[in-house]
Amino acid sequence: MMNSEILVAKLFWKAAFKNKGVFLLTFFIGLLMVYAAYSGRKNFKTQNEIRAKYQSEARKDWVDNPNKHPHRMAHYGHFAFRPKAPLSVFDFGMESFLGNTIFLEAHKQNTVNFSEASFSTGMLRFGEISIAMILQVLLPLLIFFLGFGAIATERQNGTLKMLLIQGLKWRTLILGKSMGIIAVIMTLFIPIVLTTIFLCTGFQDMNTSTDELLRLFFIIVFYFIYLVIFCVIAVLISAISKTSKTSLVSLIGIWLMFIIIIPRISQALGASIYSIPSKAKFESAIGEAIAKVGDSHNPDDPHYKALKDSLLAVYNVDSVKQLPFNYSGYQMKEGEKISTNIYNQHYSQLLDIYYKQNVFSRVISFLNPFMAVKNLSMALSSTDFSSFLNFQKQAENYRYDLAQEMNNLQIKHISNEAKGSSDKNHILDKKHWEEVEEFKYKPTSISLVFKSEWMSFAAFLFWIGLLVFLIHKFSKTLKAI
Amino acid sequence: MTHLAFYNLIRSNSVKIGLLFLFLTGVISLFIGKQFIQKQKQNIADTAIYQEEHITQNVKFHKDDMGLLLYYLKFSLVNEVPAISGLSIGQRDVNSSIKSVTIRGLEGQKHDTDLNNPYNSLLGSLDFSFVLIFLFPLLIIAFTYNIISEEKESGTWSMVAVQSKSLFKHILKLFLIRIALILAVLLLILFLAIPILGIPINVDFWAIIATSVSYLLVWSGICFWVVSLQRSSNFSAVVLLAVWILLIIILPAAANNYLVNKYPVPEALETTLKQRKGYHEKWDMPKEATMDKFFAHYPQYKKYPVPKDKFSWLWYYGMQQMSDDESLESSKTMKEKIKLREKVSQAISLVIPTMHAQLTFNQIAQSDLNNHILFLDHLDKYHEELRLYFYPKIFENYPVKNENWKEFKPKYASITHTVNWTNSILPLILITVIISLISFFNLRRI
Repeated sequence: MMNSEILVAKLFWKAAFKNKGVFLLTFFIGLLMVYAAYSGRKNFKTQNEIRAKYQSEARKDWVDNPNKHPHRMAHYGHFAFRPKAPLSVFDFGMESFLGNTIFLEAHKQNTVNFSEASFSTGMLRFGEISIAMILQVLLPLLIFFLGFGAIATERQNGTLKMLLIQGLKWRTLILGKSMGIIAVIMTLFIPIVLTTIFLCTGFQDMNTSTDELLRLFFIIVFYFIYLVIFCVIAVLISAISKTSKTSLVSLIGIWLMFIIIIPRISQALGASIYSIPSKAKFESAIGEAIAKVGDSHNPDDPHYKALKDSLLAVYNVDSVKQLPFNYSGYQMKEGEKISTNIYNQHYSQLLDIYYKQNVFSRVISFLNPFMAVKNLSMALSSTDFSSFLNFQKQAENYRYDLAQEMNNLQIKHISNEAKGSSDKNHILDKKHWEEVEEFKYKPTSISLVFKSEWMSFAAFLFWIGLLVFLIHKFSKTLKAI
Repeated sequence: MTHLAFYNLIRSNSVKIGLLFLFLTGVISLFIGKQFIQKQKQNIADTAIYQEEHITQNVKFHKDDMGLLLYYLKFSLVNEVPAISGLSIGQRDVNSSIKSVTIRGLEGQKHDTDLNNPYNSLLGSLDFSFVLIFLFPLLIIAFTYNIISEEKESGTWSMVAVQSKSLFKHILKLFLIRIALILAVLLLILFLAIPILGIPINVDFWAIIATSVSYLLVWSGICFWVVSLQRSSNFSAVVLLAVWILLIIILPAAANNYLVNKYPVPEALETTLKQRKGYHEKWDMPKEATMDKFFAHYPQYKKYPVPKDKFSWLWYYGMQQMSDDESLESSKTMKEKIKLREKVSQAISLVIPTMHAQLTFNQIAQSDLNNHILFLDHLDKYHEELRLYFYPKIFENYPVKNENWKEFKPKYASITHTVNWTNSILPLILITVIISLISFFNLRRI
């Protein structure tokens, strides 16, 4: 039974390569692919070299500090530069809109600065050329160009009636033509896959982790499904169109809707319903919340007064100077804990708003396979917002630990006689600076992708089910004329 | 005959739907622009309120110490968002229009970002410039790609050929009716923008209209050229869509990749490291290392004594000053690099009409990168003014209560901009003329 499908597919394949236009388009997309691979690779290399260079320079600056008061070191702080993930060569994702430099200091959560977009002249609005973009945007269009006439042309020429009279089943025709388009597209997809594997693993000196291989595997599988979805859509639309022109125009319309129009509309909808607070409001709310619990910078703060009184009572002394440890360090440790907790609460509320803004663009994957693959591909390539948040979290944890480590050093080693952190008589040996571990970003595991992208996976399942159902239904109801 | 052709056209359902779709997205884009402007205005209003609260509270806490107070106090500079920005949001969503800074080292605060959901930027805003640049050409294509081929394919071409005195004039007429209809929708949307966004009718507005019309003329030229080839409907549709993708997606994106790879900005990271070191290392150096440089920069403060054996604000702000002074070089190189990027993309855009339209729109709407660089220049100046104003007060420990703190409201940067008509329109007109000439030549032969 499968033989007749393969025959239909073979005939389609032969006809497709006789078409000069198809050949030209395929060649052009191939060329573009080479450029995408080259430029993705180059950007990855340049950016990671730059970031690694300054990361080690920042570390060197830190370690080179002379003996000093630990609180001066807490303010000296450190930098975290976000490294690009190896798979960012394949899919740039949100990379260009995400900052890459964060200054980590005591008392303060800084913003991640210097995104590519902040240096952009406005061209970034048109998008970027990456291998993923070619697969997501251009291949579906090529599929539509290949497939718009698959059945409509046969109908227009009258050959469709003959085929059906000869006993060919609709189901065979639809499956066979779809397989034919898939076969033609594989001439591009397979080289693209091989290049991607080579780019993302070959250059890492064969150190690719299982996690990365798994990511690559999923990328290949889901892009394959994505392309198959478009092949089937092309054949189905072609099957219901009276003429090849109607089929072409409808398919172009679908492509424009999926790729250009729906994504912007869904995001605009989310962004207009849920509003992000102004930075002034956000920061003032944090300041207010801290003032309520305990502001270590307010000399009359009740929280710290109570803290001091209880310490004095426990140690049975009448001034903080008589305490067996450095009181000011103790106070700052408490302050850091309070302010960090409050900041994290507010920040997670802000992320909640972002999440709500994005909900429409995620749900729309069930109507638009482009969004499903876009979200999933970014996540698998670690160029999505979750991966970025993971970096930000690691940097923030590092900042907190650094600040508290300096506070602990102060509590333990600095005398209560010291007159603030500029007092040159009470300083700490520089050997402690080296004891602080360097910031090292740990890439996220693929399990995060399953958690954050379950909706994209579900959307793919939905699409597969939908198309199987439509093939089944159309096979029964379609007419030859 | 013209009337007939016109009525024939607008009777068609697909034409009505096409026009309606374009008009509606156009109007939606205006409301998205309006919402953006209102959000910016809200941010500015919030900034004013919270700045006042913030100053009042800190003045209360640190009433005896001007130096300590100024350590905390933040002052905001606002890059006002003109109504016309609503038409082309440009870089305004990425680059903050409000900067709040203390008088400490500026480099460490200058590039702090606003609260941004990167997903919004990734999918791009649905502003008027998007509707114009992306969607209008599609409608021009849809309306014109089969002007000749449709009649040929339905078998009416020979009748038209017999009945018309001049085939060329007939085709041109059909073509112009369609373009006129689309231009009418464009003008309708733009004139609706006046009340919806509250755009003043001034030179900027006329420049937007002129650029929009010129941009659509380019696309009309391209469509006319493909029509003049007199190939089948399917062929014309595929070629025109391919041109659209090339101009809208591939060429600008390729240019962007090129620019990003050709001009990376490591200077940004360099500057940020240098400014940290410039300040912090001074804590471990003899005071002269700071004060000699500081007094060389500001000789007027030499008269203030620097206490040798204890902390003083003069020394502290001197150290802070060093973070800016010692990162000045790399900060300048960074700015040069960004300006170079701007220059190169301007040059590339001369031959890519889509890019040219976007960059021109952003310029006129004051949402371009250059506007942001100018804003940062104003921030430099404002920060310096604040320093010069407060430095002597700190060094003399001027009583906090004697200062009129109510006066410190967010300040507006006045960034001047002019419309460069030649740059805005000439490249688009030139491209239109060239393509039209080729098409006329093609059609003369029918």
